[in-house]
Amino acid sequence: MGFLSYLISGISLGSVYAIIALGYTMVYGIAKMLNFAHGDVIMIGGYMSFCGMMYLGVNGWLALALAMVVCTVLGILIEGLAYRPLRQAASLAVLITAIGVSYFLQNSALLIFGATPKVYQPLIPLMNAAGEPNALKLFGGQLSISYISLFTMLSCIVIMIALTWFTGHTKLGKAMRACSEDKDAARLMGISVDKTISLTFAIGSALAAVAGVLLCSFNPTLMPTTGSMPGIRAFTAAVFGGIGSIPGALLGGLLIGIIEAMAKAYISTQLANSVVFAVLIVVLLVRPAGLLGKRMTEKV
Amino acid sequence: MNTILKVDNANVYYGAIHAIKGISFEVNEGEIVTLIGANGAGKTTTLQTVSGLLRSKTGSIEFCGEDISRVQAHKIVEKGLAQVPEGRRIFAQMTVQENLEMGAYTSPADMDKNLERVFEQFPRLKERRRQIGGTLSGGEQQMLAMGRALMCSPKLMMLDEPSMGLAPILVEQIFDIIKSLHENGTTILLVEQNAQMALSVADRAYVMETGKITLSGTGKELAASEAVKKAYLGG
Ligand SMILES: Nc1ncnc2c1ncn2[C@@H]1O[C@H](COP(=O)(O)OP(=O)(O)OP(=O)(O)O)[C@@H](O)[C@H]1O
Ligand SMILES: [Mg+2]
Repeated sequence: MGFLSYLISGISLGSVYAIIALGYTMVYGIAKMLNFAHGDVIMIGGYMSFCGMMYLGVNGWLALALAMVVCTVLGILIEGLAYRPLRQAASLAVLITAIGVSYFLQNSALLIFGATPKVYQPLIPLMNAAGEPNALKLFGGQLSISYISLFTMLSCIVIMIALTWFTGHTKLGKAMRACSEDKDAARLMGISVDKTISLTFAIGSALAAVAGVLLCSFNPTLMPTTGSMPGIRAFTAAVFGGIGSIPGALLGGLLIGIIEAMAKAYISTQLANSVVFAVLIVVLLVRPAGLLGKRMTEKV
Repeated sequence: MNTILKVDNANVYYGAIHAIKGISFEVNEGEIVTLIGANGAGKTTTLQTVSGLLRSKTGSIEFCGEDISRVQAHKIVEKGLAQVPEGRRIFAQMTVQENLEMGAYTSPADMDKNLERVFEQFPRLKERRRQIGGTLSGGEQQMLAMGRALMCSPKLMMLDEPSMGLAPILVEQIFDIIKSLHENGTTILLVEQNAQMALSVADRAYVMETGKITLSGTGKELAASEAVKKAYLGG
């Protein structure tokens, strides 16, 4: 049963990575930029839901909604203030700006909330009022899957289906795909590229808020650097699956989560990151565009 | 005759390169006007300036009496000006149908009507509506690019080298379509390397050389002009 429970913890961790990876991948697909600050939006989402529960006294679900709203606005602001003026700039300038935004968010959090970790109330408590674990028991209790894990996997599935439907069947979603293929051609269709990019940041940031809440529910210490490492792993997941691809983000996220869980279980906790990156390097050597990525071909 | 497009003293730069040097021209309602010229003359730059993808430093661009020289590209489309860009620029990863839907982005209400009209004009597209755009042949892609532009029922349609890279028979077909669009009342501004074909369908024509308009006249006049014959019609 050990293997199965590691697998399940890998899948639920991977589901969170997949949700974060979506933000990287969608933004990369349309704006062709690496939004380095995405991980820190996760952290802001964590703090916002924390504040909602602590200071406004709302329950975890309302706090989640609050975090989503704040992060959506934050994402739109970051894009509009920091990245939009650099639309024609060299990609290095954009990358440096993104790193700057990341530090700005971390330091703002440090200033406001301090460096001492906050103890986060999980969205679904691990124990119920009677002191029993909030978990689904299988195989006569040998395998237990916490409700928060189940909820995380379910959220990931729902988000994937919703986004696939959105990009495949709605006018705005199709406009998003058109913009990621060819911005000038999209403009000639009457699509506002700026608005479409804003929308992409809004969606990515709302998802980051969800990821922040889930992440803190698994690992209930909240600090200004909480988003960094999961952000980097999720970025790895996006590249692993094929950056720009929505199913790629799911596959990459799940694989990174599972590899991490297995490495922790069977190799060593310290080496888990090295294993994750080693696998990434090997995959990129064999498939430079990632597992599900399309190789860029120059159009004539 | 109503002037639908009036470009007055446009100057366009790519950084330090002065690509368009003070050109002025106009297109009247119901006309086919062609802009011909050698590679690098500035034809594409001119169309992109009209459609708002590039900006002129000076002068004005009037479309249906309104100055659009500072209007954003996506809002110009709404006003009824469509461009079929050089190299087609279809959305290669989207289906034929989705490409056409993008063309109808600004006029969703007329989508079904326009879709029917486009499929009537290009039956080939109807057969292939579920196919991914990038897998179409060159000629089909050109049809798709034209169909996509027609989806917004444009008052003026600008075509940038629609015959580029097509076999002679397909070139004929594309020009037949241009003529029939024109007969159905669409005003057309046509950029072409294929000067002979372009002049044969055009009411009026302008010749561009290194960013300037050097000659203008009716299609017939220019086709008969010695200078044009020498430079563009192979003797
Ligand atoms: N993005 C750009 N940056 C710098 N210079 C450019 C750019 N695009 C075009 N030019 C220059 O501007 C001039 C006009 O180019 P343009 O594409 O408008 O020519 P054209 O008449 O359409 O040529 P062709 O028939 O080959 O399509 C050329 O000298 C070209 O090199
Ligand atoms: Mg050109």
